[in-house]
Amino acid sequence: MFFFILTNNNSNKMFFLFILFFSTLISISSNSWFGCWIGLEINLLSFIPLISNSKNLLSVETSLKYFLTQSLASINFLFMILIKFSLLKNFDMNNIISIMMNSSLLMKMGSAPFHFWFPNIVEGLSWMNNFMLMTWQKISPMILLSYYFNKNFLIFMIIMNLIIGSLGGLNQTSLRKLLAFSSINNLGWMIFSIMISENLWLFYFLIYSMMIFMMISLFFLMNMYFMNQLFINNMNFFIKMNLLINFLSLGGLPPFMGFMPKWIIINFLLINKFYFLTFIFMMTSLIIIYYYIRIIYSSFMFNYFKMKWMNLFMKNNMFLINLSSFISISSMILSTFIFM
Amino acid sequence: MCFNSLFFLFFFSMNNFFFMVYFIMNGLSVFFEWEIVSFNSMSIVMSILLDWMSLLFMMFVSLISSVVIFYSKSYMNSELNLNRFIILVLMFVFSMVLLIISPNLISILLGWDGLGLISYCLVIYYQNLKSYNAGMLTALSNRIGDVMILMVICWVMNYGSWNYIFYMDFMKNDYVMFVVSFMIIIAAMTKSAQIPFSSWLPAAMAAPTPVSALVHSSTLVTAGVYLLIRFNYLLIDMFFFKILLFLSILTMFMSGISANYEFDLKKIIALSTLSQLGLMMSILSLGFPDIAFFHLLTHSMFKALLFMCAGVIIHMMNDIQDIRYMGGLSLYIPLTSLCLNISNLSLCGIPFLSGFYSKDLILEMVSFNSFNLMVFILFYLSTGLTVFYTFRLIMYVMINDFNLMMIYNLYDEDYIMLNSMFVLLFMSLLSGSFLSWFIFSYPYMIYLPFNLKLMVIYVSILGSILGFMVSNMKIYSLNKLLMSYNLSNFLCLMWFMPNLSTYGLSYIYLNFSQILFKNIDMGWSEIYSGKGIFNILKNYSVFYNVYQMNNFKIYLFSFILWFMILFIFFII
Repeated sequence: MFFFILTNNNSNKMFFLFILFFSTLISISSNSWFGCWIGLEINLLSFIPLISNSKNLLSVETSLKYFLTQSLASINFLFMILIKFSLLKNFDMNNIISIMMNSSLLMKMGSAPFHFWFPNIVEGLSWMNNFMLMTWQKISPMILLSYYFNKNFLIFMIIMNLIIGSLGGLNQTSLRKLLAFSSINNLGWMIFSIMISENLWLFYFLIYSMMIFMMISLFFLMNMYFMNQLFINNMNFFIKMNLLINFLSLGGLPPFMGFMPKWIIINFLLINKFYFLTFIFMMTSLIIIYYYIRIIYSSFMFNYFKMKWMNLFMKNNMFLINLSSFISISSMILSTFIFM
Repeated sequence: MCFNSLFFLFFFSMNNFFFMVYFIMNGLSVFFEWEIVSFNSMSIVMSILLDWMSLLFMMFVSLISSVVIFYSKSYMNSELNLNRFIILVLMFVFSMVLLIISPNLISILLGWDGLGLISYCLVIYYQNLKSYNAGMLTALSNRIGDVMILMVICWVMNYGSWNYIFYMDFMKNDYVMFVVSFMIIIAAMTKSAQIPFSSWLPAAMAAPTPVSALVHSSTLVTAGVYLLIRFNYLLIDMFFFKILLFLSILTMFMSGISANYEFDLKKIIALSTLSQLGLMMSILSLGFPDIAFFHLLTHSMFKALLFMCAGVIIHMMNDIQDIRYMGGLSLYIPLTSLCLNISNLSLCGIPFLSGFYSKDLILEMVSFNSFNLMVFILFYLSTGLTVFYTFRLIMYVMINDFNLMMIYNLYDEDYIMLNSMFVLLFMSLLSGSFLSWFIFSYPYMIYLPFNLKLMVIYVSILGSILGFMVSNMKIYSLNKLLMSYNLSNFLCLMWFMPNLSTYGLSYIYLNFSQILFKNIDMGWSEIYSGKGIFNILKNYSVFYNVYQMNNFKIYLFSFILWFMILFIFFII
C-alpha cells in the first residue's frame, strides 16, 4: 500500500521502484568500485521512469534535467575510478583524486556547490517522488563517500552546504523548494556524521527520513505545494500542531525528535575540537528554524487566519497525523528507555 | 466570620492572660523545640518560647485584633469581599504571633516577612492610585528590614544555630555580633519607621481604618521595638545604640512638629504614633527595655482606641477626613467623644490614665539618670508637642463650631463599633496600673528635685495653652502658615525626608533607564542584532537567488570546468 502510494498510484511503476531499491543495495554492498558505479547507473535508469509522466511537459523536462546531471556525475565518477585504478595505487585518502571522486558523488547527491539542479528538479516533481529523491537517492552516494573521502575538502563542502541551505531558503515561497534547501542543509550534517562514524550517519539518516516522511505525507494529504495554500483552508488544530511540531523537529529544537541526532553530532564536534565548525552549524540552524517558524507561527496567535468555507477533509488520516505528532514529541524520552 | 474570629481571639487572649499571670507569679518560662533538619553543623529548629513577655504581648495583640475584627464587621459592612479582609487580618495576627513567640531567627523571619507582605495587601485594599503608591512605599521600606534580617541569618550561621537568645550574653566582643547588632537595629528601624525610613507610616494611612487600628498602631510598628527588646542584652553597650538614640529622639521630635501642621485626621494620629514609637525606641536605647515594653503595651491600647474613634467620626462625616470640616462633635456623639477624649488624654500623660504610668516613668527615668542636655530637652519638648497637637485636635474636632457645609445627621448609635471601643476603653483606663503592678516586681527608685518632677506638668500646660491658641480661628485672623511659608513646608512635610526616599531614589534610575531604552533597546541593538541581521541575511539570500536562477547548461558546464581545473592540478 505504501509502495503503491510511492509510485503515485500507478502500479506499473512498482517494478521500477523495486529495481531502485535493489540498485542501492548493489551499490553499497559491492567490494569493487566498478560495482558501485553499476549500482549508481541502475539507480539513475530506474528512477527516470518513476518521475517521468509523458502527459505533463514539466514532468518530462524535470526528468530530462535529472538524467543530464546524474549521468554527467556518473561519467565523471567512472572516469575517476579508472584513473585511480590505473595511475594511483595508494590508499591514502587525502589527495586530489579523492577530491575529484567526492565532487562527482556530491553532485549526485545534490550537495553544494553542485546543487543548482536540486531546487529546480524538486519543483517539478510530485511529493512522493520528492520523498524518494530526498531520502533514498542519498543513501548510495553517502555510503560511497564514506569509503574514500578527503577530509579537508569535505569540511569545506559541509560549510558551503550549511550556508547555502540556510540562506537560499530564506527567500522561498514554494514548499518544495523550502524542503529542498532544508535537505541541502541537512546534507551538511550528514556528511559530517559520515566523517565520524557510519553508525552515526545511519542514525541521523533514519531520523531525518522519518521526519521528512511525516512532513511530506502531511503536505501530500493536503495537496499543498505553496506557502499561500497553507492557510487558505480550514485546518483544524491537530493538523496545525502537527505541522508546527514537524517543522520544529526538522529544525532541531529540543524536546522533539530531530534534536537527538544533531545533539550527538554537536557532541562529537566539541569533543574533537571543531569549534568554528560548531559555530557555523549553530548559526545556520538558527536561520533555518527562523524560516520554519515564520511559516507556521501566525496560525497560533490569538487572531489567526481561518477561512470558513474551505473545509479540509482529513478524517481518514487523523490517525497518521496524531501518530506522527506523538512520535515527534516523545521519541527523545522514549529512546532513553530502549537502552535500559 | 467576624463573630467566630472575635470569640476565638478573645478566648485566646484570656487564655494568654491566665497563663501569663501564672508564669509571672512562678517565674516560669517554657521553651518548645522541634528539630526539622540538621546539616553537618547547623540545625534548623522550630522553637517556641513562652515567657511572660511573649504571653503578655500575645494577650494584648489578640485582644486588640478581636476587637478590631468585630469593629470591622460594622465599619466595612458595605464591602463585598469582607471574608477576604477578615482572612487577611487573621493571617496578619498569625504572623505577629509567630514573631512574638519565636526565639529563633528563622521563625522571626517568617513572621517578619509575613507582616510586611500582609500589611502590603491590607494597605492596597482599597484599589485606587493613592493606595497603590502607599502600599508600594510600605512594602519596599519593610523589605529593607527583611533583607537585613536575612543577612543576620547569614552571619549568625557562624554560631551553629539560629537561637539567638543563647548567644547574646556570651558573645559580646565578637565581630559577628557587632555586624549582627548593626543589622538588627536597621531592621527594627525600618519596621518601626524611625528617621531614615519614616516616610511609609503617614502614607500607609491609605489603608482602611480597622487596618490602621490594628496594624499601624499596635502590632506592625511595634514589631521592631519588640525585636530590639528581645535583643537587648546583646545591644546594650554597643555603639549603635547611641546612633539609635539620636535617630529615635529626632523622630519623636520631628513627628511631633509635623503633627501640628496636619489637617488630615488619620495622618495626625499616624504622626502621633510615630512620635510615641520614637519615644519607645529612645527609652530602649537608653537601656530600659522593660519600660519600653510597658509603654509599648499601654500605647497600643489607647492608640487602637483612638483610631477606632477616628473611624467612627470619618464614617459619620460622609468619609471626610479633614479636621477643618469637623467641630463641636462632643455635643452630638457623646460616647465616641468619651472614648476619643480618654485616649487623647491618656496619650498626653494625664495622671492616672494608662498612658501616665508609662510616660511619666519614662520621663522621670530620663531626668533621674544623667544624660545629655539635648536628650533631656528633646524628650520634654516632644512631650509638650504631644500635648500641643492633642489639644489642637480636640479643639478642632470637639470644641469649635461645626464646619461641614451641609445638613447632616450625626449619629452615634452603631453599637457594634461602640461595644468594641468600650472594651478598649476599659483596658485603656486600667491597663496602665495593671501592667505596672505585673511587670515591675519592685518599683523603680526615683528621687528628683521638685521642679524637675513637675517639669512634665509645666510642659503639658504650656502645650495645651499653645494648642488652644493655635486653633482659635476667627474670620479676621492672619494665616500664620502663609507668612512663614518656607518654614511651614519644611516642618510639615517631615523635613523633606519622604522626598529623599521616594523621588530621590527613583528619579535617577528611571531617567537613566529611559536613556538606555531609547538609545540601546530601540536604537543600536536593533541594527546590530534585531532587524540589522535580518536585513543582512535577506540581502545575502537575494544575492544567492541571482546565482540560482540560471540556465541549466551553465550548471553542467560549471561542473565540467571544475573538473578540468582539478584535473590540471592532478596532472601537475
